[in-house]
Amino acid sequence: MTQPLFPSQEIGSLARPRWQLLGQRGAPLDARAHTELTQWNERLHFLPAEDPSLKLFLSDRSTEVPPATVREWGSLFGLRYLEGLGLDRVYDGEARRVEMYEAAVRHMTGFTFEGHVRSFDQKYYLKAAATGAVGLTAPYHLEEFRYLKGLAKRELKLPVTGPYTIADWSFNEHYLERRPGWKHRAARREAQREFVEAVARNALRPTLQALVAAGCRVVQIDEPAAGTHPDEAELVAAGFNAATEGLDAEFSMHICFSDYRSLFPALLEAKRCSQWALEFANRDTADHDAYAELELLNEYGDRRGVGLGVLDVHRDVVETPEVVRDRILRAAKVLGDPGRIWVNPDCGLRTRSLEVAWKKLTSLVEGARLARKELAGSAS
Amino acid sequence: MDVSASLTGSFPRPESVVTLTRDLDRGRTTPEQVEAGYLAAEGDVLRIEAENGLAPRTGGYLRWPDLFRPFASGWPGFEVGPITRWFETNTFFRQPILKHPPERTPGAIARWLPAAGGALRAAEARAVLPGPYTFAGLLDNESGETFPSLVYRIGRLLAEELRELRTLGYASFQFQEPLLVVRPPEGPAAESVRAAYRALGEAAGPADTSLWTFFGDASPVFLLLSSLPVGLVGVDLAETVPEELPVPTSPCGLGFGCIDPRTTLLEDPAELVRLVEGTVARLKPTRVHLGPGAPLDLLPYAPATRKLGVLPAARDRLRRTGGSS
Repeated sequence: MTQPLFPSQEIGSLARPRWQLLGQRGAPLDARAHTELTQWNERLHFLPAEDPSLKLFLSDRSTEVPPATVREWGSLFGLRYLEGLGLDRVYDGEARRVEMYEAAVRHMTGFTFEGHVRSFDQKYYLKAAATGAVGLTAPYHLEEFRYLKGLAKRELKLPVTGPYTIADWSFNEHYLERRPGWKHRAARREAQREFVEAVARNALRPTLQALVAAGCRVVQIDEPAAGTHPDEAELVAAGFNAATEGLDAEFSMHICFSDYRSLFPALLEAKRCSQWALEFANRDTADHDAYAELELLNEYGDRRGVGLGVLDVHRDVVETPEVVRDRILRAAKVLGDPGRIWVNPDCGLRTRSLEVAWKKLTSLVEGARLARKELAGSAS
Repeated sequence: MDVSASLTGSFPRPESVVTLTRDLDRGRTTPEQVEAGYLAAEGDVLRIEAENGLAPRTGGYLRWPDLFRPFASGWPGFEVGPITRWFETNTFFRQPILKHPPERTPGAIARWLPAAGGALRAAEARAVLPGPYTFAGLLDNESGETFPSLVYRIGRLLAEELRELRTLGYASFQFQEPLLVVRPPEGPAAESVRAAYRALGEAAGPADTSLWTFFGDASPVFLLLSSLPVGLVGVDLAETVPEELPVPTSPCGLGFGCIDPRTTLLEDPAELVRLVEGTVARLKPTRVHLGPGAPLDLLPYAPATRKLGVLPAARDRLRRTGGSS
């Protein structure tokens, strides 16, 4: 698919609309959810107003609409939302997934969910242990991909949680238990390597293989855990390679909120990765030009594409198109090749409201246009 | 050989408290119900500690959002800052921001400690506090004070805290010092650590004190640690190879952090006993204490409770053998 200079893409999750959350739970729509659905549908027209199910959902009999239908609407909404903004590569904001870890692990064998671990304050996540050899019950994300493939007007980019992150966010029992003696760091490292590669080979690769067979051409492998243990960056690359081995698709790697320098050169071994999709806007301040960090790629002679984070997903402040433009141009100057740049938010926009995310992504698209115009002007 | 065992940091919240605190955030329950949930859960942890013969007891520090929050929210000079990664884990703390030279508010910390609820006498409880080096090193220092000076100042404030807590009956204090092994101090910073712990040692008087390290290898800094005026130094056996610990120049107690909260896999008590016995024979500590290698709140409640059983199993074997083979 031919793309303009500085094409745009989403990175992952969007906030779930209230009407979807209530509808999926089988709870009645409240006034807020009703208004939200009505207004977004007026803007995006993702559901025909005369759809009997929609009419039922907006009536006082909303609970009669099956949760599966509401979930599908959520996916369609995410797709039309991103398309409506004019992004070049889209998905559905991960509308069907519980969250990025549990949604994947639920489809794997060898895991036992052990309970909740506190992330911070009163936020928790459900954590599983690998208590047996990792396998796969059935390839996942297929249903959502097939559904979106039939409806998408733009190129789809499927986000999938990477094998290193799944291993790092799990407890490793099975592969550690097989190591004799006290479990020192060296033993843990080798056991973790086995674990990552098992997730990659036995669960993720068959899933990706099925997705590619179903027509998936662009996959983003998310590795937010990569920066947690910088000395394990080689495992991130090994997992990436094992998961993508022999598959014919375009693969990118998304990493965020990490010291990228600490991950290189080990990450360069991810040979089938054609794009580094990275967060920068969050760390771009008056005192620190975050985009200068791209010099790292030049130092290693790496010429792969860059998914350039130009929107801070942790703040409601909406970047102006001019700020986005300047960030793109700074990055282009460092890389010396504007053709390698895709523009995207730093990470998934799930923590922002749909209204704020819309404004931010509007700035992203407009900022990319301004950057194109600026380069065209300077070239003439 | 005196061999003891205890919790050395936060225990995970049980699923009942997870549900209640989530429900509170979503407006589905009341603060009174959450408080009742905490009281019941703390009672359960105290019972588990007693059943396993763990002493002093802690109640699990279930209410602490992170190691620094009582201080960041209760001491003048601080603000509660952004979410920050807690070492190499997938958990986070709110980084304290120090806007002005720190001060201490009497009573601000005691209400967070195990005896505050009345279910445990202070004399039976362990006050687990951030160590001055870790505290100074992990905060965002906007006060203008140099790092070594800040380490010492925080040490002095914690010393005042110890004096207050002793008057309330506390007789056991533990300082959490992961940063000492993750980023060992050098030069003036090392001197400030010594000075801070001298102040803490004086304030502690006859009370029992321990310094617990985790998330890093204690060997490179062990001579410094073992020279500090604390009753024992704890090392994380997941990170520290005990054979590499240098022989201390003066006798000290040794804490073995032997439950690894980064895996649900149960440690083998027999293997642990062999490890401890070999180390004891070589380093000749004044006493041995067994505890988790790092706070157990990296685990969910059920596996943490299962793994806790390793402590009494290993402790009892060591007591039978006298701590050395």
